[in-house]
Amino acid sequence: MNVIVNGEKKDFAQEQITVTSLLKLCNVEMPEMVSVQVNGKFVDKANFESTTVDENDEVDFLYFMGGGTL
Amino acid sequence: MRGFGTNAVHGGQVRKDPHGALRPPLYDSVAFEFENSQDLELAFAGKKPAHAYSRITNPTVEEFEQRVKLLTDAFGVIAVSSGMAAIGQTIMALAQPGSNIVTSQHLFGHSLSLFENTLGRWGLQTRFADMTNPDSVSQKIDDQTRLVFLEIVTNPQLEIANIEEICAVAAQKGIPVVLDGTLTTGYLFNSKQAGVAVEVISSTKYISGGATAVGGLIIDNGVFDWGRNPGLNELSRSFGPGAFLVRLRREVYRNFGACLSPHNAWLQILGLETMALRIQKSSSNALSVAQFLQSRPEIKSVNYPGLIGSSFHKMAQSQFKKGFGGLLTFELTDKKECFKFMDNLKLVRKATNLNDNKTLIIHPASTIFSDYSLEERVRMSVSEGLIRLSVGIEDIEDITEDLSQALETL
Repeated sequence: MNVIVNGEKKDFAQEQITVTSLLKLCNVEMPEMVSVQVNGKFVDKANFESTTVDENDEVDFLYFMGGGTL
Repeated sequence: MRGFGTNAVHGGQVRKDPHGALRPPLYDSVAFEFENSQDLELAFAGKKPAHAYSRITNPTVEEFEQRVKLLTDAFGVIAVSSGMAAIGQTIMALAQPGSNIVTSQHLFGHSLSLFENTLGRWGLQTRFADMTNPDSVSQKIDDQTRLVFLEIVTNPQLEIANIEEICAVAAQKGIPVVLDGTLTTGYLFNSKQAGVAVEVISSTKYISGGATAVGGLIIDNGVFDWGRNPGLNELSRSFGPGAFLVRLRREVYRNFGACLSPHNAWLQILGLETMALRIQKSSSNALSVAQFLQSRPEIKSVNYPGLIGSSFHKMAQSQFKKGFGGLLTFELTDKKECFKFMDNLKLVRKATNLNDNKTLIIHPASTIFSDYSLEERVRMSVSEGLIRLSVGIEDIEDITEDLSQALETL
């Protein structure tokens, strides 16, 4: 399954991936500090476990404690 | 689980130093370079966890934030340029013009001035309650209240509220409690366990220790649902428990620019490592000094929560498990006598800081509260004969000897 994470195409063996498991698969440090957009829309924190990612979805992790303009 | 002192010395390092340096390096750099334009774009969009510009984040400041996070078991921490910057930015993130905060008339003078004058001109209303009476706090909260603000030990009145009860009353109404925990600094009192939403600290004091650097901390304990704050409701849906810190990092903190300098952060990391030892020493010294002053006929009254006779002794004992802190006050007859006593001291320094390594003395009415009229100072329980003493870590015999010789000149 292909997913575009922060602009980079990634190939995963799993057929179905939740946002929570995607955070784990991508080795995201301090996932509680990351917000997630799927195809440009924010996913509620409460729905990370139940939201699944589809083939070719664009997923963005936003590191709000990090650098840049955040 | 490791103890506070162990974590203060070893914990919290953000990432391993490439050279194996035991002491975290000082990244005294304004900007950080990127390998390519796309990485810089991703960092600006928040899609790459990288430092770009030190007004927003810096590796040394982040190290300090992570150490405080570990010590306080907080959800997240933002280090700022001073304790007052921590208070100001917290309120700007939670309140709006037309809303109000519920607080006490017994506050540090500059905090009171910030609420009534500076933020008052921008449309924030300040409502006063008696923090030692949770019912009084409850009565002052209305649908425009955005936070309850209080000090862990009021300065200089040294009143102590039941923090858990205040938090319970505020929680019933969906209001976060912001606590100025400067005098306990995460060591004497655990604000998260009491239900405090945000603890603000002047890290200039106990953390800095030797009065080396001005700084402040905003600590989100992660116990409050920010979706209940009208201004953070939308952010809460996207960022969950991070909503308050996002509002700060992405807007209030970023735009005000009151960031902590990397150099100050480095000094405060150093101070943090020995803070527990210094608090223990200053607390035991302060108790001895309070008992000594109580025995002197020149002193009208002594106020220290560690004294059995203090009205707040039981409250302090139930909340502070490791000591009563280094701050005490006492009364002489009037301002003239206070000045004479202070000017005859040889070891104790006349200065406006507190929780320094050195014992410091100040006359609050003529300094910190000089912006206020006599009537207003009476309302704040800051009399003309009041002296504030911040007891340091010197040998106790030397402190009492100096106080004794100055008292004998009266």
